[in-house]
Amino acid sequence: MKRALPFILLLAGTAAMYLLMPYNLAFATRILVMGIFVLSIDLVLGFAGIATLGQAAMYGAGAYAAALFAAHAWAEPVAGLAVGAAAGAVVALLSGLVLMRASGLTLIMLTIAVAALLAETANRARDLTGGADGLRVAFGPVLGLWEFDFIGQTGFCYAAAVGACVLGLLALVARSPFGLSLRGLQSSPARMAAIGAPVYPRRVAAYTLGGAIAGIAGALSAQVAGLVSLETFSFTLSAEALVMLILGGTGRLWGALLGTVLFMFAHHYAAAADPFNWLFAIGALVMVVVFVLPGGLLSLPGALKGGRHD
Amino acid sequence: MSRKPLAALAAVTLGLAAGQATADEIRVGVVAPFSGPFALYGTQFRQAIEAWQATHGTRAGDHEISFVYKDSGGVNPDLARSLSQELVIRDRVDVLAGYVFTPNALSVAQLATQSETPVVIFNAATSAINAESPFFLRTSYTLPQVSAPLADWAYAQGIRSVVTTVADYGPGIDAETAFSEAFTARGGAVTDTIRMPLSTTDFAPFLQSVRATGPEAVFVFLPGGPPTFAYAKAYAENGLKEAGITFLGTAETEESNLQALGDGALGLHTAYHYSAAHDSDANRAFLAAVEGLGDDAAPVNWASVGAWDGADLIYRMVEAAGADGRAAIEAALGAEWESPRGPVRMDPESRTLVQNVYIREVTRNPQTGLLENAETGIIATVGDLGWKD
Amino acid sequence: MTLLLNIALDGIAYGMILFLVAVGLSVTMGLMRVVNLAHGGFALMGGALAHWAGADLGLGFWPALACAILGTVALALPLERLVYRRIYGFGELQQVLATIGLTFIVIAAVNRWQGSALLPVPLPETLSRTVDLGFRTLPAHRIAVILCGLGVILGLWLLLDRTRFGIRLRAAVDNRAIASAHGIVTDRIYMATFGLGAALAALGGVLGAELLPVDAYYPLRYMVLFLMVVAVGGMGSVTGSFAAALGLGITETAARYLVPDMATFAFYGIVILVLALRPQGLMGRIA
Repeated sequence: MKRALPFILLLAGTAAMYLLMPYNLAFATRILVMGIFVLSIDLVLGFAGIATLGQAAMYGAGAYAAALFAAHAWAEPVAGLAVGAAAGAVVALLSGLVLMRASGLTLIMLTIAVAALLAETANRARDLTGGADGLRVAFGPVLGLWEFDFIGQTGFCYAAAVGACVLGLLALVARSPFGLSLRGLQSSPARMAAIGAPVYPRRVAAYTLGGAIAGIAGALSAQVAGLVSLETFSFTLSAEALVMLILGGTGRLWGALLGTVLFMFAHHYAAAADPFNWLFAIGALVMVVVFVLPGGLLSLPGALKGGRHD
Repeated sequence: MSRKPLAALAAVTLGLAAGQATADEIRVGVVAPFSGPFALYGTQFRQAIEAWQATHGTRAGDHEISFVYKDSGGVNPDLARSLSQELVIRDRVDVLAGYVFTPNALSVAQLATQSETPVVIFNAATSAINAESPFFLRTSYTLPQVSAPLADWAYAQGIRSVVTTVADYGPGIDAETAFSEAFTARGGAVTDTIRMPLSTTDFAPFLQSVRATGPEAVFVFLPGGPPTFAYAKAYAENGLKEAGITFLGTAETEESNLQALGDGALGLHTAYHYSAAHDSDANRAFLAAVEGLGDDAAPVNWASVGAWDGADLIYRMVEAAGADGRAAIEAALGAEWESPRGPVRMDPESRTLVQNVYIREVTRNPQTGLLENAETGIIATVGDLGWKD
Repeated sequence: MTLLLNIALDGIAYGMILFLVAVGLSVTMGLMRVVNLAHGGFALMGGALAHWAGADLGLGFWPALACAILGTVALALPLERLVYRRIYGFGELQQVLATIGLTFIVIAAVNRWQGSALLPVPLPETLSRTVDLGFRTLPAHRIAVILCGLGVILGLWLLLDRTRFGIRLRAAVDNRAIASAHGIVTDRIYMATFGLGAALAALGGVLGAELLPVDAYYPLRYMVLFLMVVAVGGMGSVTGSFAAALGLGITETAARYLVPDMATFAFYGIVILVLALRPQGLMGRIA
């Protein structure tokens, strides 16, 4: 029962968003998409300990792949998700072969550089991608049944379903031997190497899987918005997502989701209340969390009980 | 395929009677950057609208008009779309307005068409936007609209060879294409085309290359803000002016950063549809209205005038058609009025303004001691030269 | 031949500006090992203060520059005491979060104070002239920046390698507990070093403003650029940052002359190449 509780809470939360914000479904959908993206970083950073500020490389690759696939081959969105996942995985695998040998600041810089190179490539290939004007694509009905409506109901339900699948998948991965070995890698690569675990291949595999999920998030955003822009590769996107993850707490799936929801709501309402000064609110929120709850929001129950920090 | 049933379905699902809102209050949702590096646009839009309402009241015909503002940050189509959706569905606005960046404007095309909401674009200047929805109207300009007349003028001044230097992204390439086509059609020669990466911070190498080629003029297109600032500095510092290479630009000398350029900006030539120094009663009334807002009034430039004319157009549409989107578009097409920039007409085909393009030169105003874009020539009634149907 | 000279000259001038804007980060992040994403925030403080001193107080360039550096240090020292001292011991991610949060607050504060438009600092007559070098002209401020960059690298080398302060700093960074046990007041050393980093950030912000114009969003716009210079140079090595800044500057400038539209690829390509081959950076110590 205890194990199922978070799932039940999440389901209730998603249903509540749908019921309580019927006029804001577009915003609720953005939260879901961002949640999937932050989960992908949690897998890479929280589980495997791979520091990245360039996860947008895979998000953008997924978004463009899905859009181009829809424009030139088949407009059905679920197929587009698969294409987006594949694109994200391929980018992550190819770059990961080089990147996963590095660590620390060097690794962070390399991830940023890869995202920047992809952004410039997409900008230059404007015949294909529309460049800075963005690429507008009409997607067909989901599974041939549900058309995207301007209220955003289809978009929301679709994103929620995809999010649930991704979360389920990651929960399985987290408990699998692969997931456990990733945690081992994070806490002590040297010891893992000593017991004969293949460190580098595992890191590449984790990065690739994270890339696939980021690709799904990118593809989903393209389909819901009907448009892809170069900003899908931006450093800001990677950095914001990282902030959301650390806010919530790394290494646990719920932390990623909690951080996303908190950040997105804080941003949305602070920006609506005072567009000129909302950065104060976000900055203060971030600093308070660092100093009061260094383990992220997920450590709040433990901190309240005066219990362990981890 | 009609979208009507879908809108009706949506209205039923939400338990709303959309479209039957009380007829006497019309809401306009403005989506623009109010935070981030481009926050000035949002401020200028808002001030122009407030100035318009201060001088023209809040009623158009039988309708009370109110504006709601939403912050879209920078280039962020996901956010722009979601905010617009929220405005249409939750705030039940009858008209959408604003939109600084092309992707942000494009992202609302489907929403506008499906919900039959007119969208008045105050800025985004890529020609192709308006082809995406019949509910798009634009009160700014398009890149070909100002670039091609500049080429014609340069040729008429006896300039025969030009090097183009543009930022390497969509709008830059559009400007380069429009300029080059117009210039070579006249018989001029574009001797080199340099495309500068968007992230460029040091423009000296490009301008040294231009200098080595030795053309009679250099055409430039850059996004506003830091790149423009650094480019204009580099133009002055690398001695291009002394070498007799004329500067041909468009928005580079816009008013909000003009003073920061200093004396290096003197003598720069640009072609554009609005200068705050435009000599007309309508412009003086506009400037006075914005100044009347008090000390916080931001510098007035083309973004302000786009919003001012946008408000003008919205008032016309509401007066004629109330909340009926289709009728409002009908009412807007062909509308003519005297704008602070000069006479304008909403072209029924491209749904962009037909307007004068002015040739300007940066000079120091002897009275105020400030730099300004003095208009030295007019190319009258130019439509959207980039429009392809 | 002229082309080669041009590349060398503009490359060195550009590289030196990169060095000046990044050297403060090389001190706080490279030497003190705190992932200081707020470096641009301190440069912004400097730029905004200089603009305010010049435009609102009517001071000349040099007094404005002094005002910017002193003002930034005056703001940085309390911040070190209140914020940074508490995060030295944190993990990298918490440092990232804390310094990003601080950056947001600095941006919001400057935005509120000075607005979001450019904050120019007009150069004095001596620096805004152009100097004729025979084969071409060069703006005087670039020459000043080159000299200033050389002065900074020389000064830092003397300070860190040749003074007791430098020895204590390196001892404190390498092992704080043992350094304390030897009677080194590490708190004060850290505070002084952080103040130095902030002063250099302000100097770079003002002197670099001709190429990297200052506005409220400066820290986010150029954050990656600063980080790249320090990472390529190698953590813990100011000389490495110097070499990296010049190398990157010359590479990108050469690309701008020879293949203008490929300059971005050239920049990131060389970053990836260097870091893939030497993960510790050009002159970094192996961690």
